[in-house]
Amino acid sequence: MTFDTLTLILLGGVVLGALYALMATGLALVWTTLGIFNFAHGTFIALGAYIAWQVASPEALGGGLLVGALVSVVGMFFIGMAVYYLLIKPFERSADIVVKSVITTLAGATILENLISIAWGPRNKQLSAVLTGDLQFFGLVMSRNEAAAVIVSLVILAALGIFLQRAPLGRAMRAVAQNREAAQLMGIDVVRLYAVAFGLSAALAAIAGVLIGSIRFMNPLMGSDPLMKALIVVIFGGIARFTGPIYAAFIVGLLEAFMTYAVGLYWSPTVLFAIMIVVLVVKPEGLFGKHRKSV
Amino acid sequence: MTQPLLLDVRGLDGGYEPLQIFRKIDLQLAHGGSVGLFGPNGHGKTTFLRTLSGIIDPWDGDIFFEGVQLNRPGPRGSRRWRNFNYDAVTRRRMDPKSVARAGLIHVPQGNLLFPDMTVAETLSIAPYASSGRASASETLDYVFKLFPRVQERLGSKIRFLSGGERQMVAISVGLMAAPKLLILDEPTLGLSPKLRGELAAAILTIRQSGVPLIVVDQDIAFLESLIDTLYLFDHGRISRRIEKADMPTHEEIMKLMFGEEHR
Repeated sequence: MTFDTLTLILLGGVVLGALYALMATGLALVWTTLGIFNFAHGTFIALGAYIAWQVASPEALGGGLLVGALVSVVGMFFIGMAVYYLLIKPFERSADIVVKSVITTLAGATILENLISIAWGPRNKQLSAVLTGDLQFFGLVMSRNEAAAVIVSLVILAALGIFLQRAPLGRAMRAVAQNREAAQLMGIDVVRLYAVAFGLSAALAAIAGVLIGSIRFMNPLMGSDPLMKALIVVIFGGIARFTGPIYAAFIVGLLEAFMTYAVGLYWSPTVLFAIMIVVLVVKPEGLFGKHRKSV
Repeated sequence: MTQPLLLDVRGLDGGYEPLQIFRKIDLQLAHGGSVGLFGPNGHGKTTFLRTLSGIIDPWDGDIFFEGVQLNRPGPRGSRRWRNFNYDAVTRRRMDPKSVARAGLIHVPQGNLLFPDMTVAETLSIAPYASSGRASASETLDYVFKLFPRVQERLGSKIRFLSGGERQMVAISVGLMAAPKLLILDEPTLGLSPKLRGELAAAILTIRQSGVPLIVVDQDIAFLESLIDTLYLFDHGRISRRIEKADMPTHEEIMKLMFGEEHR
């Protein structure tokens, strides 16, 4: 392995890691706050990318990528809230909400996926890159677009972390996640908070979708593979802390980049899952988890 | 025009479906008054209070707070609708958020609060329910004066606190919500005699500052110092209502509850 190959793999891994971190954090936000797993998260990624394409692409409205991304993020926030009210809220009080939400979010994912197919067609599309050209530093070469994606991801994750730590709404969100009943007795509107958490998660998915769409291609099924990776990341990192999935995302991203080089694209998911099983056996609460949280 | 009662509970039934825990509870509380609930464990006191604050739905009966009805009026839906298990159809009869925002604040039994949040963070979100009734910083000063220990532990996470400290934080959270009526469910449960004394003194100070209380406790002497009316809770019913003037001693109560009636 030459130095060039190594840096290529490392940079590829970092880009993947940043994207996975964005997706996994969105997933973990819903998981920790509502205690359910949102299988529609992958479709949120696709829908976010397509909304951005519709606004941004010269073939459609031609508003430019920044406007497209903004519309997509805001739009997905409200679509996420709508999905919560339609698919999760009705079953909120039933004892088997976890199982029911698996069914309803899977149903939602399928419906949204088909709607995307009908609206935009199944063929691959691409968002035009924000920045063109390459960036050179310390003898490394990275496309400006990918560097922007990494920076955008990290900035957004930092902003979310500060929001959860400092803002009253973010603190209330953590409170509801830790003890719903005590939060209710404190006069916190749990239903609205759940809706906001779902909306935020969908907005994060939209950002991830825009970034993926501008780095790679987009099609209606573009979210299913990232969803699976995000699931690995969330289990890998544990959700006890906000930063757990983020570290894990970069580890998984780098691992995946190395695996793709070492064993090929075909076998790398297998190896990843094998590693995940080992982690689950050795440290069931996740690599960075402190205590277990069962769903 | 007469001022409405602070709290007026009429014929309240409730429990955890399909098990009815308490029935036909009537409880009246005038402005400035305080009541105590006394009764053996497992007779429905906590379930009644949880119903009062809207955590679980009442089955029947009405709850008025300052003349405003807290529960959705009308009878409960039929069994079939309740079993339909879809929130869009079976609406909640009470909303804990609006109960808290109305000023009826419940400090639950053995309150675990938020294990991974610090005391300061917990207190910072506590004024949610106060809806602008009081200034948060003034209440915070009052709380620190009442519980200096809470101020010392501001930076600690709740799960590293001792039981007594956690109870102090729980009561502080209740006070931050600017209560018009404060429900304390066994505030001294499981504490050492020394801590019990400290906490009891603090609760007495709260009472003397004019906050009406509903207190559940197993210590008659402690209750007597706080309240005007004592309700004996027995098998999910209120078996007796005792005014402060003829408050019985602990032995008399024991005889009343276990000696003669259930021989």
